[in-house]
Amino acid sequence: MTNNHTSGTGRPALAVTGATKAFGANQAVDDVSFELAPGQVHALLGGNGSGKSTLIKMLAGVEHADAGQVDIAGQAIALADMTPARAEAAGLRFVHQQRSTFPELTVAENLAIGGPGFPVGRGGRVHWREARRRAQRALEQFEIEADPDQLLGELGPARQAMVAISRVLFEREGEGVLLLDEPTASLPEAEVQLLLGALRRHAERGQTIVFVTHRLDEVYAVADNAILLRDGRLVDSVSPGAVSRTALVELMIGRAVEQVTRECGPQTGRPILEIEGLCAGPVGPVDLTLNTGEIVGVAGLVGSGRSSLLKAIFGALSTSAGSVRLDGKAVDNRTPRNAMRAGIAFVPENRADDAAFPELSLIENLSVTVTDKYWSRGRIRRRAERRDAERLLYDYLVKAGSLDDPLSSLSGGNQQKIVAARWLRRKPLVLLLDEPTQGVDVAARNEIYAVISHAVRQGSAALVASSDSEELSAICDRVIVLRRGRVVGEIQRGALTDKRIERLAHADPDEQAA
Amino acid sequence: MSGVSDSTVGSNVSQVSSESSRSRRRGRKPLRSYLEAYAFVGLLVLAFLFFSLWSKTAATFTSTANLQVLIGSNTVVAIVALGALIPLVCNEWDLSIGASATLAGVYAAQALVHGTTVPLAILLAVAVGLLVGVVNALLVTRLGVNAVITTLGTSIIITGVISLKTHGNTITGNIPSSLTNFGTLNWFGIPRPAFALAAVAGLVYYGLNHTPWGRYLYALGSNRSAARLVGIRTKLMIGTTFVVGGAICGAGGILQVAQSGSADPNLANTLLLPALAAAFLSAASIRPGRYNVGGVLVAVYFLAVLNSGLNLAGAAEYVSDFVNGTALIAGVGLAVRLGRRTEP
Repeated sequence: MTNNHTSGTGRPALAVTGATKAFGANQAVDDVSFELAPGQVHALLGGNGSGKSTLIKMLAGVEHADAGQVDIAGQAIALADMTPARAEAAGLRFVHQQRSTFPELTVAENLAIGGPGFPVGRGGRVHWREARRRAQRALEQFEIEADPDQLLGELGPARQAMVAISRVLFEREGEGVLLLDEPTASLPEAEVQLLLGALRRHAERGQTIVFVTHRLDEVYAVADNAILLRDGRLVDSVSPGAVSRTALVELMIGRAVEQVTRECGPQTGRPILEIEGLCAGPVGPVDLTLNTGEIVGVAGLVGSGRSSLLKAIFGALSTSAGSVRLDGKAVDNRTPRNAMRAGIAFVPENRADDAAFPELSLIENLSVTVTDKYWSRGRIRRRAERRDAERLLYDYLVKAGSLDDPLSSLSGGNQQKIVAARWLRRKPLVLLLDEPTQGVDVAARNEIYAVISHAVRQGSAALVASSDSEELSAICDRVIVLRRGRVVGEIQRGALTDKRIERLAHADPDEQAA
Repeated sequence: MSGVSDSTVGSNVSQVSSESSRSRRRGRKPLRSYLEAYAFVGLLVLAFLFFSLWSKTAATFTSTANLQVLIGSNTVVAIVALGALIPLVCNEWDLSIGASATLAGVYAAQALVHGTTVPLAILLAVAVGLLVGVVNALLVTRLGVNAVITTLGTSIIITGVISLKTHGNTITGNIPSSLTNFGTLNWFGIPRPAFALAAVAGLVYYGLNHTPWGRYLYALGSNRSAARLVGIRTKLMIGTTFVVGGAICGAGGILQVAQSGSADPNLANTLLLPALAAAFLSAASIRPGRYNVGGVLVAVYFLAVLNSGLNLAGAAEYVSDFVNGTALIAGVGLAVRLGRRTEP
């Protein structure tokens, strides 16, 4: 099963030996060694805390390695000496998770900065026409719908991501190694395919590519080789074609993981959330009813209004028209505070910006939604708070050193579990989740789905917005599909497949086939 | 494909690999975090020892009189620093702290000179500070003007008001001895103002650490957007920080009158920078990475020890400036590094 990377193709494009990095007592990367054959797409796979992001950062010189060596293009560089400049000079090109693009600059400027640079003439003057021409060429090559003079911030997040990727690929094909850290996170299906297609084309033209991902579909679609990390160690290096999905997951996680699906339709519950004619921002008017015991999915392309719908219900986005009723009573959804008190909970899409308190401890992050409950007789009952927090960590299988550690010390998936826990502990009537498993590995995903199911069985209802149609088709009782802010269709459990969701999301409402 | 069982999530999945990971993730050693928390205190002790042993200052530095002056003369700065601390927890700067304290002192002193009783004068001072705080709160939260600009503006306006009321003259005369006794005498060998400082510090500590209000403030300081999305009333909370901070500055103002028996209209600037510096430096010790009460006290007295020692050694003023400036930069640098430690 293991690939022999150097047979027949000569020297590997990149060889890593003995990469090691520890954060205090935590061995994040433990003696990892592998080789990459040139002109192939390699996927770096692993669960939460497997060390894959740390490894990429070490290669980029952003994280200081303890030990290890990199061999590339005949050069041997000690990882401990790696810096971003050295990495760049050696031919390592990175597109990180936190994209370093500039929303206030134009597309042409973005393609130049951090990329091939501006074409300059005498005295360092920029040749703007040439810069614009180059940008136009790049946009055409990557089929990005944008204008070189447009501000990057005006493009949707998907196209911004594509610009970020194209600026490193453009005019430098075949050289060095391209490393992408979760490039398709938050990209909708169609654009994921577009991006993967572009990666495939580059590999065929001889570019060596490494990309970090959770999504097994992508691995099967485009990777020639999958490098598996678990708990900081290299597990194996396999060819996806030779391995089944279940086997791959097992290798990743180290144990068999049961796939979660909704068993049957909802028990006939009563309507708990009734939305009529809701208009807010880009979405509306929308009519929707949620019954107790239901998980309803909200699908749609980027910009279709999924997030806006959820935010509007929660009061995070101002409503211009329409009403929201919870358990028969009208809800004043002007502020999140009101929505919270009525019994609605909201897990936002962008954890770093909208949900995480990074420096605060796990206990504080967990109890921020229920602080009043611990305040009695003029003091905060710390022991009770701690006990409850411990219980929550256990229930949600959060891997953490200590309750007093800051939230930022946890991996992304565990942080997401903390955010979910802080809301679910309130036993809300309605749970609104926006991309709840974004950046979360397979095992943790299933844990989160189980948690949602459990909550819903106790009598609440959940509304899940997601760009992952597979996820929605697995866990939802029905899925409504938005397009340009309106509901264009609803798919019931019996007919629910990810393909149907995609088709509905893409279809023009006027040409809807039966 | 099986469905989801009814038991809690915890029992569904085998815990073997998660436990081994958990034990390997048992993060920072407690010793290191102790060192971080008390490094600054260590510096304070070192500075103290230095001046106690240095030939030039040994005799006078450790004398009771000097220690009493050391403790007593910094109480007002410490209280005003606590007034700056509260908005700082939410990442808002209040540059009007000095002016606010001075104005409160001026009003109180004038009232006392005209025969108002001491308790009433104290209330007046706090009320003036509170009022300034309310104005700041409204401007920052309702108008949405940046706090730095707003409080800078209000401090300038207040300076004008002070000028109007005092015509630049210090207000002296009939300050009741009951007040000045508190400001200058000792209880059990400790200057009485130190007890006032202890009371204010205790109150602020309680508010920030043992009430939901304090928790909400730290949450706001950590991530304002997330705070709103967990139901915290952002504008109201930030507004209260200016109001409470202002009231504390008012208290500082009347204490200053008690200590000096007069109200100096030019006090504002001498108070502002040391108090603000101490508030920033608080993040370097006791609760590293977080602005905190203990840290304010450590910072104030660290700078106080330095200045007292230098003064006794007869150092020229510029030396004192160099030392203060360096201490501030070093301290804030330490705070920033400690703040970064929280990331893995």
